Amino acid sequence: MHAFIQAVILGVLTGGVYALMASGQTLIFGIMKVINLGQAAFVVLAAYLTFSLFTLTGMDPFVSILITTPILFVIGAAIQWALLRPLRPGDATELSLLVTFAVALGLEGLLAITYNTTFRSIQPGYENFSWTILGYQVNMVRLFAFLLSIAMLGLLYLLLKHTKFGRAIRATVQNPMSAQLLGVNSKMVAAFGFGLGAATAAAAGAVFGLVSPFNPGSHYDLISRLLTIVVLGGLGSIGGSIVAALVMGVGSAVIAALVSPIWSDFSFFVMLLVVLLFRPRGLFGARVRGAL
Amino acid sequence: MKLARLLATATAAALLVGNAFAEDLKTGATPLKIGISLSLTGDFADSGEAAQRGYALWAAQINKAGGILGRQVQVKVVNDASSPDQVVTNYQNLITQDKVDIVFGPFSSLLTIPAARVVKRYGYAFIEPAGGGPKVFEQHLDNLFFVQPTEAVKSGEVFADYILALPMDERPKTAAYAKLDDPFAAPIADSIKARFEAAGIKTVYDQTYPSESADLTPIIAGVAAANPDVLVSGVMASDAFGQVKAMIQLKFNPKWLFMSNGANSPTEFPDKVGAKNTEGVFTSSDWYPGSSIAGSREFIEAYIAMYGGDANGIDSTSAEAYSAGMVLAEAAKRTGTIDNATIIKTLHSGVWPTLVGDLSWDADGAPKGEYLLTQWVNGKLTTVYPANQAQHAPVAPKSNWAE
Repeated sequence: MHAFIQAVILGVLTGGVYALMASGQTLIFGIMKVINLGQAAFVVLAAYLTFSLFTLTGMDPFVSILITTPILFVIGAAIQWALLRPLRPGDATELSLLVTFAVALGLEGLLAITYNTTFRSIQPGYENFSWTILGYQVNMVRLFAFLLSIAMLGLLYLLLKHTKFGRAIRATVQNPMSAQLLGVNSKMVAAFGFGLGAATAAAAGAVFGLVSPFNPGSHYDLISRLLTIVVLGGLGSIGGSIVAALVMGVGSAVIAALVSPIWSDFSFFVMLLVVLLFRPRGLFGARVRGAL
Repeated sequence: MKLARLLATATAAALLVGNAFAEDLKTGATPLKIGISLSLTGDFADSGEAAQRGYALWAAQINKAGGILGRQVQVKVVNDASSPDQVVTNYQNLITQDKVDIVFGPFSSLLTIPAARVVKRYGYAFIEPAGGGPKVFEQHLDNLFFVQPTEAVKSGEVFADYILALPMDERPKTAAYAKLDDPFAAPIADSIKARFEAAGIKTVYDQTYPSESADLTPIIAGVAAANPDVLVSGVMASDAFGQVKAMIQLKFNPKWLFMSNGANSPTEFPDKVGAKNTEGVFTSSDWYPGSSIAGSREFIEAYIAMYGGDANGIDSTSAEAYSAGMVLAEAAKRTGTIDNATIIKTLHSGVWPTLVGDLSWDADGAPKGEYLLTQWVNGKLTTVYPANQAQHAPVAPKSNWAE
């Protein structure tokens, strides 16, 4: 029982980190119907930026999120503007897969040249600190990461629901043509939306770099997890991706701790298959196009 | 950085060849040509370059000392781009077109296996520093000699030796095995497990995890729940660091912790887990900068003089490649010839001193020695077993994690 509860704690905390990564992914899909295969590469890029800021200036990884977020936003918006915008609307969804995969490979290559391929980790000195609560270990960084995820997702919600920019995004999601007719600059919105999705990778990258060693190739494992979370949660649903991330986190942790690590990732894919068989649009997938 | 290193190596190699020619003009002796295929690009590029530095350094040193049997050594390195097909072509060309006198091995078991077959066909000796997987020896080639203390999968045997030599009441009663699914990780732990179980140490946890396991914390939670006295980790590098981090976070501290890899890196391990957290972790090494083996200090000095940097930056692959050269030089010295058939015959008996210990081989080229048991003591990787080579007594139980 002790091991079970400990595994659930670990799973919930890890799930929070994945929820943060996946929220950007699902946001981008919701706005542009673009499956961004580069999202995990953005996370790894952010982890390296955090690593550099920490090793060069000693800046705390949580503080550096304030710097890396705008950087990632600009990079994301620029990539959308330069590479995705020119795609013809009819082919955009399919071609964007290739384009964003190319972006991921390009980023991986650049990172490998800049930082080498050895594993890095960000070590401010408190990264392994845990509180003992009722005999269970709660890692401080993971708990902070979890709380940060909730805060970021809350901010994202407020931004989408209660600002003019958020309304413009939602309008574009629901009907790009009408939005444009009503004066929304949908091209701008798309670039900003993509930037916003990339920006969520900044916080996720800082946390990822604290929790696990990473190298430029780390994005392959990450992206497969993010895609399954997003599909399980329902493409385009931020709430769904949070639930899916928690389900994945807890499921994999419990099975890895109590059954066997070999089955831990596999079990998640089984779950995904079962859900897709009975609910092809995922747990919370929107029936109508565009409900964020 | 990498490019600079490559250039430096290339320049060193060019100088070497140049010197050899100059020497020939003086003495009239034909140079001794040695051909090697190395992975200078592709997956094994880092290790391939490390091997190249070791070979080039050895050649420079031996030439300074008058060469082999009065002949200057000329090393020809060709790039196989980490490809098992290219490596075959390379050795074929080196032997039939470049007509080299001797060949040395490439990097990794993957490339050594096909290369060894070609080399065997031409009757050449194959002294190789980096192909130690089981499949290498399953080929039963009599011309192959692996220049490391033992087969890769047996590198943990020395830890079992140490534990089983402890008095009964001091030995661990229970053991856990957490293993990465990799031919150079899990089998090391399995071979320790077989010996522990035979000696009555109970297995309370035994699991293999796939290489995609990004988060090792739940796995270590499973180990902690089983509460073993000793944890044997069959690991590579990043998962070794991940296991340690997870143990610290879960406040799980076994009395003995052996890690097959990762912990044997003098710079990366403290860098990734925090210097204070290395204390008491066991691993095994063949060559490492603090090695007390004869010739090691001279090797380090020469290495730094040629390539710069410091001792901790020297990859053990460089020392292993250098050792391959030492074996050849010693064989030539003992027999007075560099004839391949004679070398093959000679190396099958006797003991051959190298930077990785005194070597001898079985009929398949598997070395009959053992790794050194090393432990992190006072922040340094230190040999603790066997006793006749120990720089410090083994420290157990392990001290608590520093956090």
